[in-house]
Order: sequence, then structure tokens, then C-alpha cells
Amino acid sequence: MKDFLLEKILRFFEPIGAFVLMVSKGFRYMFSSFRIGDTLIQMDLIGVGSIPIVFLASIFAGLDMALQFEVVMAPYGARALLGKVVTTSIIRDMGPVLASLVMSARVTAGIASELGMMNVTQQIDALRVMGVDPVDRLVAPRLAAGLVMMPILSVAGDFLALLAGLGISVAVGHVPSPLFWSGVRDALTAQNLTNAFLKPLFFGFILTSIGCHYGMRTTGGAYGVGRSTTKAVVASAVWILISNFLISKLLINIWGLSS
Amino acid sequence: MIRFENVSLGYTDRMVIQGVNLEIPEGKTMVILGDSGSGKSTLLKGVLGILQPQEGRIEVNGANVGDLDEDDLLGYRQRIGMVFQEGALFDSLTVGENIGFWLWEHTDWSDAQIEERIRTLLRFVGLEDVIDRRPDELSGGMRRRVAIARAMAPQDPLVMLYDEPTTGLDPFTSRSICDLIRQVQREFRVMSLVVTHDLHDAFRVGDLFSFIHDSRVILTGDRTVIEGSDDPFIKTFLST
Repeated sequence: MKDFLLEKILRFFEPIGAFVLMVSKGFRYMFSSFRIGDTLIQMDLIGVGSIPIVFLASIFAGLDMALQFEVVMAPYGARALLGKVVTTSIIRDMGPVLASLVMSARVTAGIASELGMMNVTQQIDALRVMGVDPVDRLVAPRLAAGLVMMPILSVAGDFLALLAGLGISVAVGHVPSPLFWSGVRDALTAQNLTNAFLKPLFFGFILTSIGCHYGMRTTGGAYGVGRSTTKAVVASAVWILISNFLISKLLINIWGLSS
Repeated sequence: MIRFENVSLGYTDRMVIQGVNLEIPEGKTMVILGDSGSGKSTLLKGVLGILQPQEGRIEVNGANVGDLDEDDLLGYRQRIGMVFQEGALFDSLTVGENIGFWLWEHTDWSDAQIEERIRTLLRFVGLEDVIDRRPDELSGGMRRRVAIARAMAPQDPLVMLYDEPTTGLDPFTSRSICDLIRQVQREFRVMSLVVTHDLHDAFRVGDLFSFIHDSRVILTGDRTVIEGSDDPFIKTFLST
């Protein structure tokens, strides 16, 4: 009974230990043997390849958010605040979370399936046999690319969402453009900007590390690759939402409730 | 020399190989035979240090693989040429890049020197004209040949390991792969360990043979010893 329980406990903690080990080695390699070529390739795949879908999602999120706020605020005569409210919502929460969730469907799934397929076809074993640590070659460049590209994409997406919000505010809410931009400027506080840059940095780490973790542990052929990919996408989406709340709470504790 | 001393290998929930004693002399090829799931490939993982023995020791040229830490293992594996079951070529790289991979990673050779080495190896395996192709453009037999060339990229591999090198190939292609394995052993005098369940291929490439059944080695010897065995499992294996 004691052995059974011990085994259950070990089995529960083993994936967590493996994740921590992989990530810590990944960061170590990022600084000790940075592979610029592989990282640039991953930045292209992860970042440049995601531009259309992230930008499209951001534009429609900006359009919808401005429309909804306009409906709610118009009866109170508060249309003048549309710029500030839309900007605050987008850069504090909506922009980074939406961009990351869209990215998780594309990037996390892509990483998990690619590494999973490499695992089941023994390509990762082949790397080990050739004296190359798969974490160095496969994980570290993806982590670095995620950490760099996610904030860039998120901030660019925020900007497009704001432009879309401006369009709706001017066209539907009849808010003068300078008034909207004045609200935008008011909303660009240190706290909001910290949210805008810090969250996507964390989300970029979550997207890539979880994709790598599930990919590197894939077993069981094509069926196993499918299962790993699904698990990776679900796990990254859940952790993005959890960490979004935790980071929000942390920053509110640090900066206070003012926006 | 590769020496297995009372080696037991397996995973946390099950033991795959138990109490194995084997010796592969310099320059010889040993073939591990047995039915599917008998643990033949597990022995290769032991030699590579991917699996550490739960009991016993695996020595390669006097060094105990179990004593090597992670960094030592990376260095040690650079001297081992491994040919995986389906080739395990990197599908994002061309044939040339697959073969040159080890050299780009571990030497400071110029690109011209590496390309020369790649071409020499491709000539050796009879595939010089596929250097720029991707692995998915190759037939099964061609992929095995490229995998053998890639495994030989280090100038002086200590050991060549082959995991089911002819599985899934037609008889003609299987024979050509066996001839190539023999040619590698003859020309480079490396120790080779071949895992297969195909008796005809085993006799084509091997000097020594070892049968695994029920997690244990039941007989080791040359072809005469194997063919003269009274063991019911071996007799059945030989007659099929």
C-alpha cells in the first residue's frame, strides 16, 4: 500500500519535475550556447507566420469592444471616455490574452505536433545519439523565439485593435478623433503599459514551453501525436487564463487600483 | 570490445532484459535475434546510455557506460554510429544536411570540407545524386542507406549499432542493405551490433549470434552453434 501510494505520488510529480528540468536547461542553453540561426527560423515560424491571424483577431476584437462600450456608455453621455476605456481594456487584458489564445491554437499545437512527430520517429533519439542535447537544439530556440515574438505581436495587435476601435467610435459613436486619441493618451499609464508588455512575455513562455513539454514526451505513433497536441493546446489556454489573472492581481497589488 | 556483465534493463514498471552476459570482440558483428517485444532494441539503448542498467554493467572499450554523467554521455555518443529502425532522418533537413549534421555540430571543419565528406559517404552508400533531396523523397531502402552514411559521419566511430535495419524492405533491398552493413564492417573494422528478427539477414551480416527469449539470452555463438542447438525456441525460429 505504501509503495503504491509512493508510486502514485511520484507519477504525479514526475511531469512537473520534467517540465522544470527542461525549462531550466532551456534557459541555460539560451545563454550558454545561443543558436542564432535556429532562433531566427523559429521567430519566423512563431512570430511572422502568426501575423495574419493575430492581427485579424485584434482588429475584430477592437471593433467589437468599441461597439459594445459605445452601446453601454451612450445612454450615460460618456462617449468621450470611449478612447480611454477601449485602450485600457485592450492593453491591460484583451489584447495580450486574445493574441495568446489565438497563438496557442497555432504555435503550441505546431510545436507539440512537430516535436511529437520527431519523438515517435526517433529523430530526437537520433539527436541524443549524435551528442546533441534536444533541449539545446529544439527547446531553447523555441523558448527564445516565443519570449521575443509574443510581446511584439501582442503590442502590434493592440495598436491595430485601437485603430479599429477608433474607426467604430468615430463612425458609430460620432466621437471626434482627437477626443478618442486624448483618451488613448490618458490610458497609456505605467501600470497599463506594464500589463501590455509583461503579460505577453509570460504568455510567450507558456505557449512555447508547454508545446515543447508535451511534444518531447509524446509516445504512441500518430495517435500519440494527436493526443499530445490536444493536451498541449488545452493546457496552454488554461495556463494563459490562470496566469493572466495572477499577473493582473500582482500588478494591482503593486500599483494599486488606479488605471 | 563491448561487454554486458549480468545486465538487467527496463523501465520503472517492468524489466525488459534480465541477467544478460555478452561479449562482442573488436571488429566483429554480433546479431541479436529474438521475437518481437523480446527486448532486443533495449540492449541498444543500454549501449547508448539512453537506458541505465538496473543491475550489472555495460562496458565499451573498458569504460562503464553507467558511470558516465550526462555531459560524458554526450561525448561518448559521438563515437557511436546508430542506424534507427526507419532511419530517423531529420525531415526538416536535406540528405546532405542530415549526413553533415554531426560534423557541423562537433567539428570546426569548413563547409567545403564537410561537403567533401558528405559526398564521400554518399558515394560509399551508392547515393551521390540525392544530396539535395529531402528524406520524404527517398524510398525506404535509400533512407536506410542515408542513415548508415549519417552514422558513419564521425571519422572514427567505435561502434555501429543497427536497429532492425531491413524491416519493411523488399528482399532485394534487404540484401543490398545487408551487403552494405558487411562492407562497413569490413572496410572500417568497427564493432557492430545488429538487432533483427530476420534470420536470413542475420546470417548475411553476422559473425556471432545471440538469441533472446523471455527477457534472457538463451544462446550465443557462431552459425554452427546456432544451427546445432537443441533449444526448442531456436529450433522453431530456425525452421520458420
